[in-house]
Amino acid sequence: MARARASRGTSNAAPRKPAPKRAPVNDIPPLEWVAAGVGLVLASTAIGLTAWDAMFGVKGPPAIEVRLKRVTPTAHGYVAEIEAINHGGAPAAQVQIEGQTSKEAASVTIDYIPEQSTASGGLIFEDDPRLAALKLRATGFADAS
Amino acid sequence: MDGNAGYGRALSRAFGGALLFSFPLLMTMEMWSLGMAVERWRLLVFLLLTLPMLIGLSYYAGFEPTFRLKDEVLDALAAFGVGFLLSAVLLSIFGVLRADEIGTQSAIGKVSLCAVPAAVGALLAGKQLGERGPGEREKAEAGALGELFLMAVGAAFLAFNVAPTEEMILIAYQMGPLATLLLMAASIGLLHLFVYQLGFPGETRRREAGGFSRTFVAFTAPGYGVALLMSLYLLWTFGRTDGVAVHEIATMTIVLGFPAAIGAATARLVV
Repeated sequence: MARARASRGTSNAAPRKPAPKRAPVNDIPPLEWVAAGVGLVLASTAIGLTAWDAMFGVKGPPAIEVRLKRVTPTAHGYVAEIEAINHGGAPAAQVQIEGQTSKEAASVTIDYIPEQSTASGGLIFEDDPRLAALKLRATGFADAS
Repeated sequence: MDGNAGYGRALSRAFGGALLFSFPLLMTMEMWSLGMAVERWRLLVFLLLTLPMLIGLSYYAGFEPTFRLKDEVLDALAAFGVGFLLSAVLLSIFGVLRADEIGTQSAIGKVSLCAVPAAVGALLAGKQLGERGPGEREKAEAGALGELFLMAVGAAFLAFNVAPTEEMILIAYQMGPLATLLLMAASIGLLHLFVYQLGFPGETRRREAGGFSRTFVAFTAPGYGVALLMSLYLLWTFGRTDGVAVHEIATMTIVLGFPAAIGAATARLVV
């Protein structure tokens, strides 16, 4: 930016300082347009999407669905990998997720699930939860921030 | 060397400056969660205010005394772009942005929140660490309003570095009324000292304002006012004021006003 500026002095009718000898370029270098263009695209994308979300985004409290992805038997119990999807219009923090089978219960806390987003984690059971009527659900959360 | 090569180097410097100014925030956990949690309207206002702020900063940090809107806008946009790119790349490397998150509102929130301080750094570095010697370089002079604008930017910038952290709230909880008043007095005293007594480089024009009381009323008091306003604005943006009692908000504002006042006082050092 500095150099471009220095060299552009010549394009002015009354330059205040003598232009540097080595760079008598008369106009804004193409790269400056490119850089500003990239900035414009990025800034307007971010602003546009934020505005869209503010105006038309889903409203309402967090609505958290918990899905079982798969169960893997390990030497230290059955690991049930889960994902929690927040379908609601507000982010949820410290989401408590509980898995209950006919024999045992396991729980996990997920720090943060933004709205319309997915977070994942795991529950660990002693016996195969698929054979013991596994029920998954979120039992609570704190408001974010 | 043609204009492109010169501009390319300035752009590289801009990336360097962005890195220097924004990495403490990029590596702060609260910035990530705030990026997801900040209310969208407040984020929108924040992003929209950033553009004129960058344009103004581009003018005052520039070398040319003339205000050419096209140049300032181009520089501000390029700096914003540098900020976005740098935050996106670094946050991805840090594992903050996951692949399945791209394009979602939470990713945009995280990147754009971090992009703002990075853009300020990019702008200042692209402008200031130029190849011309310091003797040749003459900063644009700022009038009274301009000085207030620069103080506001300095205040916002320094306060922004700590405003997202939990510690601001914790400190406010820990402080009693007496300590609060003491901190306020210290902020105002430091602001006055920094600007009018110590004589940092770049502060010359503001020191000949007459007697103590006149200087204080005309310059220090508005400066602290701007610092407090910026603190309150940042706290509101980050949702720290929601549902909090008024006196607690006042304490938080004064706590954050401490770094803000120092930022306001030293704005001219950086810009």
